[in-house]
Amino acid sequence: MEVELFFQQIVNGLVLGSVYSLVALGITLIYGIMQLPNFAHGHLYMLGAYLTLFMMTMYGFHYWPAILVSVAVLVLIGMLLERLVFRPLHNAPHINSMIAAVGVMLFIEALARKMWGSDYHRLDSPYEDAISLFGLTITQQRLIIIIAAIVLMIGLNLFLKRTVIGSTIEAMAQNREGAFLVGINANKVSLLTFGIASGLAAAAASLAAPINLVYPSMGAMVNLKAFVIIVLGGMGSIPGAVLGGYILGLAESISGTYINSEYKDLAAFVILVLILTLKPTGLFAKEAR
Amino acid sequence: MKGKRNVLLALSAAASLLFLTACGNQAASGGDSAGSSGSGQAREVAIGWSGPQSGGQALYGKNTLNGLQMAIDDMNAAGGIKVGSDTVKLKLEALDDKYLPNETATNARRLRSENKATIIFTPHSGGVFALQTFNVQEKFLIAAYTSEPKVTEANNPLTVRIPPSYDNYPKTFSEEMMNRFGKKAALVPGTHQYAKDWSALFKQTWTGLGGEIVAENPVDYNKESDFAPAVTKALAAKPDVLFVGGASQPTALVIKAARDQGFSGGFIVMDQAKLEEMEPILKDPKLLEGFIGVNPASLYPTEGTKKFVERYKKKFGADKVPTSEVAYHYMAMHVFAKAMELAGTTDDAAAIRAKIAEACKQLSDDDIPSLAKGITEDGALIVVPRATTMKEGKYVQIPLPVKQ
Amino acid sequence: MKKNPVHNRVSKLAVPVLTLIAAAIPLLTSNTYYLDIFIKVFIWTIAVSGMNIIAGYTGQLSLAHAGFFGIGAYALGLLMTKAEMPFLPSLAIAVVLTGLVGSVVGVISLRLKGHYFAIFSLCVGVIILLIIEKWESLTEGVRGLLGIPIPKIGSLEFATISAQYYLILFFLILTLLVNRRVIHSLVGRTFLSIRNSEELAEALGINVMQSKILAFVYSTVLAGLAGALYAGYIRFLGPDIANVEHTFDMLLYLLVGGISTLWGPLVGTALVTVLMQWLQSWQEYRMIIFGPILVILVMFLPYGIIGAFVRRKMKRQWEQEMQENSIERPGMRDQRLAGGELDA
Repeated sequence: MEVELFFQQIVNGLVLGSVYSLVALGITLIYGIMQLPNFAHGHLYMLGAYLTLFMMTMYGFHYWPAILVSVAVLVLIGMLLERLVFRPLHNAPHINSMIAAVGVMLFIEALARKMWGSDYHRLDSPYEDAISLFGLTITQQRLIIIIAAIVLMIGLNLFLKRTVIGSTIEAMAQNREGAFLVGINANKVSLLTFGIASGLAAAAASLAAPINLVYPSMGAMVNLKAFVIIVLGGMGSIPGAVLGGYILGLAESISGTYINSEYKDLAAFVILVLILTLKPTGLFAKEAR
Repeated sequence: MKGKRNVLLALSAAASLLFLTACGNQAASGGDSAGSSGSGQAREVAIGWSGPQSGGQALYGKNTLNGLQMAIDDMNAAGGIKVGSDTVKLKLEALDDKYLPNETATNARRLRSENKATIIFTPHSGGVFALQTFNVQEKFLIAAYTSEPKVTEANNPLTVRIPPSYDNYPKTFSEEMMNRFGKKAALVPGTHQYAKDWSALFKQTWTGLGGEIVAENPVDYNKESDFAPAVTKALAAKPDVLFVGGASQPTALVIKAARDQGFSGGFIVMDQAKLEEMEPILKDPKLLEGFIGVNPASLYPTEGTKKFVERYKKKFGADKVPTSEVAYHYMAMHVFAKAMELAGTTDDAAAIRAKIAEACKQLSDDDIPSLAKGITEDGALIVVPRATTMKEGKYVQIPLPVKQ
Repeated sequence: MKKNPVHNRVSKLAVPVLTLIAAAIPLLTSNTYYLDIFIKVFIWTIAVSGMNIIAGYTGQLSLAHAGFFGIGAYALGLLMTKAEMPFLPSLAIAVVLTGLVGSVVGVISLRLKGHYFAIFSLCVGVIILLIIEKWESLTEGVRGLLGIPIPKIGSLEFATISAQYYLILFFLILTLLVNRRVIHSLVGRTFLSIRNSEELAEALGINVMQSKILAFVYSTVLAGLAGALYAGYIRFLGPDIANVEHTFDMLLYLLVGGISTLWGPLVGTALVTVLMQWLQSWQEYRMIIFGPILVILVMFLPYGIIGAFVRRKMKRQWEQEMQENSIERPGMRDQRLAGGELDA
């Protein structure tokens, strides 16, 4: 029984980690290209969940098509934000774009509340049933989250390493000046990156929503934890974001069970403080800052 | 020359603030005469409200406002209330405090100074505490919608607590559940203060009745997204009954998680979670077999409640059900209005407070939902809801002992 | 830079004149709502001026500010309720305690640069909030700390709102005067040099780390002072006062008023607070309006209201000097505007 409990928590940790990783990936991509910590990311996540919800309830879409629509719309919104808000601020002091991100965040949350109310909504997916796997009870949805997250991450990796467009993003992240020298258009890359990151957030939210609830402040804590992850993993580092996400997910799940679930949140931040005290650039820092 | 410009700016900013103040002073003093009773005048009196209109608690805030507004509309449509020889119509003035006590304080001052409100509603204990530091000085009544006991322990003569205290529930709930399911209980409550207090009382009651607490695993209902881990841990101790509670929607998710993991025992649910809000989340009513909690206010067995629910549905939609905060605010507004009539004043907070017990007696269960029976010494309205439990697919109401 | 005698004289007059006006306000109105607004503006201005020192003058965006506000507030609250200490000693200890915590946090966090520091400070703020929330035996946790007694100094009890007003106004003026000395001193210029370029400052022989820590500690001291005054005024505390949302609010005030200007914090806080009160009737639209305003501000008016005035004044001054001297020095103009002697 003890062993079962343990494995159950491992599975729960992987589920949490998948969601965290997808969100962290988006934030780290944006940071790597634009040197901008996108504080509004959690709210893009929230918008993604709401869009999926409304595609399903108002227009009768099925789960997967609804997610596709949501991702597409969020990609557009992301690109719009980049073009209208963050690109003009690129040469301004860093503090300005951070503040703009805060402004966008406040705006999106207020807009969501105005349009959709503050109620909690249920997002039904067709995968509600629980199945038995190796003696563990796990709902299908949770399994889907883990699988879908892995698929997305592999897909992203292939995109970045194997396609031409993807490699321009990699190039810019690795060496900005070098990328310019070979003629890479920074604006296009930023646009694309923001779009992809927003799309990832929408996907993460839509996958996670059925096991939580959809409401306007659903993105706030996830966002904060995602920031903890990318600082731990090294800002701008993709493997760092993924690894960090799963580590945090597992740590939360296990400490929540075996230590006190109340101090779970504190744990994440205390770990952050400890690691940054010892290694100020994070575990997998790419840049020599 | 140029430096002057900045200083001029600062000076003019200060001057305009001064100007505003002076104007405001005039307006304030100009309004004083409205308070006194003329002979047979029609006047308008403001009822104040400060609560969350944005943020996570916005829905809750909206519900309380709906209850107040409905009551005010009803009374105004019937021609207003008679205070002394004046006909008084009521006006609801609501301000957003974002659930922050210092904003509640600012709002209350504004409601008092600008709107001359003598009664100010607030639906969170933090707001009440902030107001209790100056409401006696500023002479206004706090209509406190919170079960927090310290609100009435404060000996504030101008505080009226509306909802019932929760200490009436644990014994009845525990007895019922122990009889049906067994003596082992596990707790998975929220981490907020209300949940902690409730849990403490529950544990005491449960063990006092001979039961055993096999696990306790609080989890933050507000921040947590996935309750499965917490539930797993509690279920590992093989309880007969699970004690849960926090906001309605997360509570529903906890229940669902337990059922998903094969739990077939009973649920004791804190009054904070409303049955009528949990059902839509759970979709399958069978999941609630073995549930015991407070009876939805909309099912309170009086004529007045039925009428109230009908009117609510007409106004907000046939699929909407008024929750207890709506009903209690509706009821409280009527009680306060009646008290104003009996006291013959809309400004004297102490006089209004003195007439509340009588107001409750003069109103009727046939018109008013969940009507209070009176008010205790320390300012709590005496409200007695019922418990409800699901037995074999049907909801059964269980009476609760009447206090005091 | 030529000293403008008129400018100096007038700006020296600014503080006394404004003080007189501010002192007169409670005599002109008994409207407790207005007085309450003023008091809140004063309290937040003190905190925002602290943020101005670290973020504006030294260029390090600390997002933990609300956390330190909370430490100051709870320190005073706990000392006055649980230890039953009188107001002034509690205030002093609260401020010193916040500064101490600030120095520890500063030493750890200021080794990080730029964005890392911002995010780390954000997390520190969250940690402080969580500690206040969870350490119930000390802080009463989520239920909140009740019954903080009315501040008393000797036999003077600050029971009425007017009395509280004067008490807090006193500390505001004190803060403004100290800030002015700091900004105009060598220390202040050191901060500015760090903001402009840390490497350059290092090369000039400035101990960058020490200066950053000094700025950070001073900013936390101001936040702690504001928090303690808040506790004495509202007399009820909940953990939410340390919430990061307040940090964002303060950032908004600072930006509107003018980052790295002396009067920026006061103007920004006053303006936004009054505006928010006016917009009360547009509850749901408040952030829908303010969010984009923040963005627009940061894009088109990044130095805030006071900042914009100052820059225009400096431009005119420079142009005047150019005419007088008729020397073409293309690089100098941008240098000055970028951050030479911004003060107002």
